[in-house]
Amino acid sequence: MKKRILALLLSCAMVVGLAACGGGSSDNGGGAADNGSAPAPAAEDAESAGEAGSTDLADLTVGAIYINGKNDTAGYTYQHSNGIITAMRNLGMDVDSQLYVVDYVEEDYDAVCQAIDTLVGEGCDIIFGISFGYLDAFNDKAAEYPDVIFSHGTGYLCNDTNFNNYFGRAYQARYLAGIVAGLKSLEEGNNNIGYVAAFGTEYAETASGINGFAMGVRAVNPDATIYVKELGAWGDEPNEYAFAEELINSYNCCVISQHCDSAQAMIAAADAGVYGCGYNSDMTEDAPTAVLTSAVWHWDVYYQTAIEAAAACGGDASQFVTQMGGPAYYAGLAEGFVGYAPLNEAIAPANAQAYLDAVSDLIISGEWDVFSGTALSFEEAEDGTVTVVQTPADLVDNEGNVIVEAGGPSVEDSVITGTMDWFVEGVQDVAG
Amino acid sequence: MPFHVIKRDSCPLSKKILYYVIAIVIALLIGAAILAAIGVNPLSYYFNMATMGMVGNRIAYKAFENYLKVFVPLVLTSVALSFAFKMRFWNIGGEGQFIMGSLAAAFVAFKFGPVLPQPLTLLLMCVGAVVVAGVYGCFVAALKVKFGTNETLLTLMLNYIALYIIIYFANTAGDWNIFLNPNSARTTFGSFAEYASWPGIPIGRFTLNICVIFTIIICIIAHIYLKRTKHGYEIAVVGDSPNSARYAGMNVGKIIVRTVFLSAALIGLAAAFKVGTAGILSTAITGNVGWTGVIVAWLAKLSTGGIFIVSALISILNYGSTVAASTFGAVDANFANMLQGMILFAVLVADFFCRFRLVRTEKAVPAAAAVKADAPEAAEIPAAPAEAEIPADAAEAAAQAGEEVSNEQ
Repeated sequence: MKKRILALLLSCAMVVGLAACGGGSSDNGGGAADNGSAPAPAAEDAESAGEAGSTDLADLTVGAIYINGKNDTAGYTYQHSNGIITAMRNLGMDVDSQLYVVDYVEEDYDAVCQAIDTLVGEGCDIIFGISFGYLDAFNDKAAEYPDVIFSHGTGYLCNDTNFNNYFGRAYQARYLAGIVAGLKSLEEGNNNIGYVAAFGTEYAETASGINGFAMGVRAVNPDATIYVKELGAWGDEPNEYAFAEELINSYNCCVISQHCDSAQAMIAAADAGVYGCGYNSDMTEDAPTAVLTSAVWHWDVYYQTAIEAAAACGGDASQFVTQMGGPAYYAGLAEGFVGYAPLNEAIAPANAQAYLDAVSDLIISGEWDVFSGTALSFEEAEDGTVTVVQTPADLVDNEGNVIVEAGGPSVEDSVITGTMDWFVEGVQDVAG
Repeated sequence: MPFHVIKRDSCPLSKKILYYVIAIVIALLIGAAILAAIGVNPLSYYFNMATMGMVGNRIAYKAFENYLKVFVPLVLTSVALSFAFKMRFWNIGGEGQFIMGSLAAAFVAFKFGPVLPQPLTLLLMCVGAVVVAGVYGCFVAALKVKFGTNETLLTLMLNYIALYIIIYFANTAGDWNIFLNPNSARTTFGSFAEYASWPGIPIGRFTLNICVIFTIIICIIAHIYLKRTKHGYEIAVVGDSPNSARYAGMNVGKIIVRTVFLSAALIGLAAAFKVGTAGILSTAITGNVGWTGVIVAWLAKLSTGGIFIVSALISILNYGSTVAASTFGAVDANFANMLQGMILFAVLVADFFCRFRLVRTEKAVPAAAAVKADAPEAAEIPAAPAEAEIPADAAEAAAQAGEEVSNEQ
């Protein structure tokens, strides 16, 4: 009997709860009939627009959805979290009160939708999502909440108003790291270079990194072979070490590059007395006797640009894509979004900096891109001056198919759309 | 051992409530100490958790919709599990049955959604999910009846088989794989929301998903089935003593297979509700209800009304924790899970002390003799002492397995 009364009470409470929700929202929204235009925020817009035309950064609330934990101290989520926090601090924002994060959100449509609802409910003005599989949920929710800005990393969906995507041309930084690795291999007189990758051709993100690196290596050492060993996971520390070790011992590799979360591959290279090129962040500290340089991301560059654009919208989220200058932010070396960590002077190949400077200038100027039908080669003068020679050449994959005809334009877009599912010639996939 | 455990004859409701309150307060105090240590105000955290962030939320109706999405699968699964548990059939295969049900429902949606009218598709999704999940569950019952196999092990292991089946579909590209989004270069599940999606009743800006109403009706029917029908009586008798049931002329094997089918089928229905609401599959589609449901059913003493209340509370805990974690920079989802685990564990301990009490061992009195002296009815019904032990084990195993799964992910 008592249980029945409890059940009754509970259902009463639920009904009251529902009524309260319904009632409360129609109070705010001024009736259900005109809620399509979201009147409450619109009123705020008018106010803030009347005052300045842009929202004060102190009034802006930022939301983020992470695939791993917000308190991570390394890895992919950490890179983004660190980028957002750095950007907000640079802009003088208070991270504790202005940043809301839902973490450990898997690439599950329903879970992402729920996380977005939570952040919108907390009053976030702009919501970042960092994992590729969030894209459909972001796409649908951007349409559902036109007064909130949505920004999705590593994806390709967008609209003309409140939803953009962002990614970096990490392959440009990879190309530069590849040049350093190639020069080292010439110095060592060993044409074998290893690469511990999370995945291979199934992700354009990993394939473009491998291809960019391999093309950099072969621009200075056309005889080099890049042996790729795939982990099948973005992070797997014991195997990251073991695979690097195997590449060194079984394939006689003299330089190891990597696309995985930790610095284990670099540590393996250091332990074996060979060299390495790190990724994500400067890994020199992790393996000072091995790391020549690292291809690095500066996510704060994007996050700062995006938060400033959000503020400049003045509360009108539909202006975001216009403020960003387009729906796809795809920046690279020129914007400082990616780059290379300072060369490790003690072990870096002689004159490497001159090569890096020459190619950086070429990429930053927009004159040349890695995945185009133009190959680079170099002439080094007696005094160390490096001259870049551009030669039209087919871009060929490792099965002999021509991807870009000699002199043709870059297929850089395939990195974002996910259609780069090939390895460039010189890459050899080693069974994992 | 200076202490031993004795079964209580009875525990007055006031005492039970006191125990639960003490347990929850202890868990919250430990949590508060940790929260304070990492610089979070415990009061505002708990307030946020208990209200699921709905206070001051401009889309509070949405938060409540999301809460119901957590609640519906949990309550249905828990009720379903209670069918089997009442019979002492330890079905901890809720996860697997849920996954198989989701796959069946999604298959129907993709296959027939484009050609059939929506209500028919939804109905067929339910039928498909109920049949597939029911069969996935009841063949374990058939093995138990025929060969006396251990259902705890079998249902547990079938969870992982189902999990890897759905992961296989999630990761394997191919023309035959109708579950995937054909427009994506990377393998991702496709959406069938345009063909089949459970309708809702708008109340202001809030939309009451029709599954919530179905769920309430199903709970009432389940209650009547278990309490007022011949089948329900048979389940109770088989649960108390299979030998008595046989002696009374009941076909115990048939009752077990039938009831386990119903249990698994109801979990399949929960899956059809969940999949039809989401409009898409996911490898995390279950939301761990197969594990949590074991705890819910047990805390509610297998009473349908109790399950309804416990599910509602645990869903608040579950959903509220995620929401609260988003507000505080120092608190991540792992911390929220840990707090949730602490509260659940404390409640289970309180539950234990409602059933048993610790007694100082006087001399060399054998524990078994003490149990018999204190609980004479135990002798009459042979299975009675096991009543508490086995389910507690099952609940523990389920909780551990649940943790393992979430750790893997």
